[in-house]
Amino acid sequence: MDRSGDLLPGTFDMLVLKAVSLGEMHGWGIAERIERLSDGACAVQQGAVYPVLQRLLRRGWVVAQWKVSDNHRRARFYHLTASGRRQLADEINWWRRSIAGVDRVLSAEPREA
Amino acid sequence: MSWIDAARQRLRDLIAGDRADRELNEEIAHHIDLETTRQIRDGLDPAAARAMAYVRFGNPTLISDAARAERGSHLMEGSVQDLSWALRSLRKNPGFTALALVTLVLGIGACTVAFSVFNTVLLRPLPYRDADRLVLIRERNSKGDLRPPSFPNFASWREQTRSFSGVAAAMSPYSRTVSASGDAEPERLPSLEVTRSFFSTLGVTPAIGREFTDAEQAPGRPRAAMVSYDFWRNRMGARRPLGVIRLGDTRTLVVGVLPPGFKFLQPADVYLPHEGNAGTIRSSHNYQVVARLKSGATLTAARAEMSALSRSLYATYGTETEAIDTDVRPLRDFMVANYRNLLSTVFGAATLVLLIACTNLVSAQLARGWHREREIVVRAALGASRARIARQLVIESSVLVAIGTIVAILGASGAITAIRIVGGSLVPRLSELSLDGRVLEFAIGIALATAVVVGVYPAVRLARRDAGQVLRAGRGGVSVRSSVWRALIGFEVALAVMLVIGSALLVRTLRNILSAETGFDSHGIVTAAITPQESDAARFDEVVGALRAIPGVEGVAFTSNLPLQWGNWSGPVRRPSDPKDRDWPAMAGFRVVSPEYFAVLRQPILRGRSFAASDRPGAPGVAIITPGIAEKLWPGQDPIGKTIATNYLFNDWLTVVGVVAEASNWSMPHGTQNEIYVPLAQREANIGQQIIALLRTDGRPDAVMGATRKRLRDIIPHSPAQIGTVDERIAKSAADRRFGMLALTAFGVIAIVLAAVGIYGVMWYIVSTRTHEIGIRMALGATTARVQRDVLSSAAAMAATGIVVGLAGGAYAARYLRASLYGVSQLDPRAYLFGAAVTLSVAILAAYFPAWHSSRVDPMEAIRDT
Repeated sequence: MDRSGDLLPGTFDMLVLKAVSLGEMHGWGIAERIERLSDGACAVQQGAVYPVLQRLLRRGWVVAQWKVSDNHRRARFYHLTASGRRQLADEINWWRRSIAGVDRVLSAEPREA
Repeated sequence: MSWIDAARQRLRDLIAGDRADRELNEEIAHHIDLETTRQIRDGLDPAAARAMAYVRFGNPTLISDAARAERGSHLMEGSVQDLSWALRSLRKNPGFTALALVTLVLGIGACTVAFSVFNTVLLRPLPYRDADRLVLIRERNSKGDLRPPSFPNFASWREQTRSFSGVAAAMSPYSRTVSASGDAEPERLPSLEVTRSFFSTLGVTPAIGREFTDAEQAPGRPRAAMVSYDFWRNRMGARRPLGVIRLGDTRTLVVGVLPPGFKFLQPADVYLPHEGNAGTIRSSHNYQVVARLKSGATLTAARAEMSALSRSLYATYGTETEAIDTDVRPLRDFMVANYRNLLSTVFGAATLVLLIACTNLVSAQLARGWHREREIVVRAALGASRARIARQLVIESSVLVAIGTIVAILGASGAITAIRIVGGSLVPRLSELSLDGRVLEFAIGIALATAVVVGVYPAVRLARRDAGQVLRAGRGGVSVRSSVWRALIGFEVALAVMLVIGSALLVRTLRNILSAETGFDSHGIVTAAITPQESDAARFDEVVGALRAIPGVEGVAFTSNLPLQWGNWSGPVRRPSDPKDRDWPAMAGFRVVSPEYFAVLRQPILRGRSFAASDRPGAPGVAIITPGIAEKLWPGQDPIGKTIATNYLFNDWLTVVGVVAEASNWSMPHGTQNEIYVPLAQREANIGQQIIALLRTDGRPDAVMGATRKRLRDIIPHSPAQIGTVDERIAKSAADRRFGMLALTAFGVIAIVLAAVGIYGVMWYIVSTRTHEIGIRMALGATTARVQRDVLSSAAAMAATGIVVGLAGGAYAARYLRASLYGVSQLDPRAYLFGAAVTLSVAILAAYFPAWHSSRVDPMEAIRDT
């Protein structure tokens, strides 16, 4: 079963938020971070980060700033706001509880049903 | 940069979010560069690295669309984005856009035009002050027929009623010889004689001058006239003071000019006081009586009062009056009563056209949605909410509907002008037709409804799509269930069938009316109406000679009344044995004719003889009657030699010398009635009264009409003739049906075209979703013909359901046409068969190209290509 990019809804937003929280970064860098840190498991189309970034911007969880990047080109850098940090904490919390719940279900023995 | 580019750039800058777009593009370009650099570092050559960067990035257009959608932080900005998205998306599909626009323009345009007619004729108030307080009063006789009142009855009502603030009457209009000034060319123009306070009762104030005074209305009155605004402007040169015009030989003072566009029932140019020479016979029917309800008086109360009053008049005058009761109804109802059903049907037909247009658009959106599903699903996967996607689809439909509506309104305004010009004489009030605020509101209203219908259902359907389902279904997407198509196609086919049936019924009606038995041979008869002046009397023989000498004229006759002419005389007939003041045994119309009349009109003499030269002044009075009178007065006996009298116009006894076949003298198609003909020679020459020459031509009336006009102008220059043909009058008597027929046929054709477009689109869609299956079948040995036949028969099957429903719907809707039909049943099987056959053929024809295309599928490609 091909599952590449088949993330749970909302998961990708959380990953982008987390990637931004690791340090101010531009779009490509965020996509690259997610890809590298997940060992390619969460490799989606890189362009998908931009609509997510727009959404995070709109909600005030990240802010963007045009700066000169390492390759001496103009690039838009995103960094996390205080409310973004709280949101990320909430989402991680939600994710851990969901995963734990899913895991309990998956590891259930016949007698527990 | 050309000025177009400059303008485009300016426009783009104006649209909010343009700066953000440019920033996003810059970000994406930068992203691609960074990724390319990395791929090169990983060992790819530059070209391959860039290609790989794009692959890994995904479709930049979709991504920026999705990002733009996310940015929509407040409603306005989002809507502007949606709008530009919709415009782009429509521009990308010119075929769909064009077809959808044509459909919309036809649907909304047809509906708007039909509503403007409906609104003008039936809804808009009459052009009089407080027109809803105006009523028309008619007599009801013992048979229940409604007749125009007589003057004495009108005068009694005027004196005795309490419900009205004004009661006034006008005579039937007739044409007179009028010169706008002493030396102007005389013309025959319609005139109307009116009673005291006629205009103030209608609530019309003259544009210039005043209404007639009581002195001008009195017998032996000073000559006075009022004129129409057009007459004053065009014939009198808009002169002030108004001065004097000539009516026949009489100089007449103009005392007032009516407001522009004024008319009462029928247009007239000259208005004259009538009270001085009012009719005195209670049983003649020559007036239209109009009254204005007093403030506080209700129609019901007025009806009750008038009924009581006519009963008491009947008690007083007995058979002198025929009115046993009265009919009081709003003036507008009287004017348009005959048209209410017909125009409602036409409006209903237009609504059906609009429904077909909507159905087409819904199915086009669904079919197109199939091609767009992947785009939509990707947008959804990228985080666009379903509401947002649905909103964008609705906005796209709305943009389409808005453009379609603007074009439709422009087209409708053109059509309205055309209808006003062509149809102005066919249906009352149609000459007032215009695109007013109410029509615009209506057009916008139906446009909104259309946008909702065609936008929401497909949008909801598409936005609800599950991403996984669509992506797994591969290139083909998830097809719309065939039951949905069957319903959509069936629906529009049913509507088209209904419209075709309606127009077929009216086409048959019109043909029946025009070919109906009239009792005379009207073909090629030229008519010339003249009003001889005193100075012309001596030249009458010269006129007859000149007309006979016109090449192509085979016979000339004279009559007092044209066939099918409004304002015929009628009255009671009695035998010598009938007491004068008791119930009259029969009623008859009354015509004065020359001896050649029956030969020229080819109206067969059934018994006895026609008039002869010997029936001259001084000889015993003679009459020719129709069989109905003979039946009534002398059942089973030979009427020849019997004597009759009528109290109308003369009191002498007449000997019946002949019986002539009945003719539709009164109206088409069933206006025969009892008739008494008397010889022209035995009636006193009526100076100032109209006489009509009938010329039997050898079948080329046009040349004869021109020659007749010229000869008459040479001999009697002061009495211009009104030239026409009897066929013209017959055609005019069917004008309302002709209008309905034309309207329903136009809508029927539009409906068929739209249904064909719809079927074509749906079959095309079905064939293209089944390419794979068809390929397999062909690979397994199905022949081209077999594949085509399957497609055609599935189209026919879808149409068949619709046809069955349409036949039932047609039978239901035809009830509303019943009053307009003549000589054809509302359930005429031929009309229904025709409707079914036409629609089925069109359905199969529309499916033919998709069917042909399906059989051209290359099996190998079709199977590989999935």
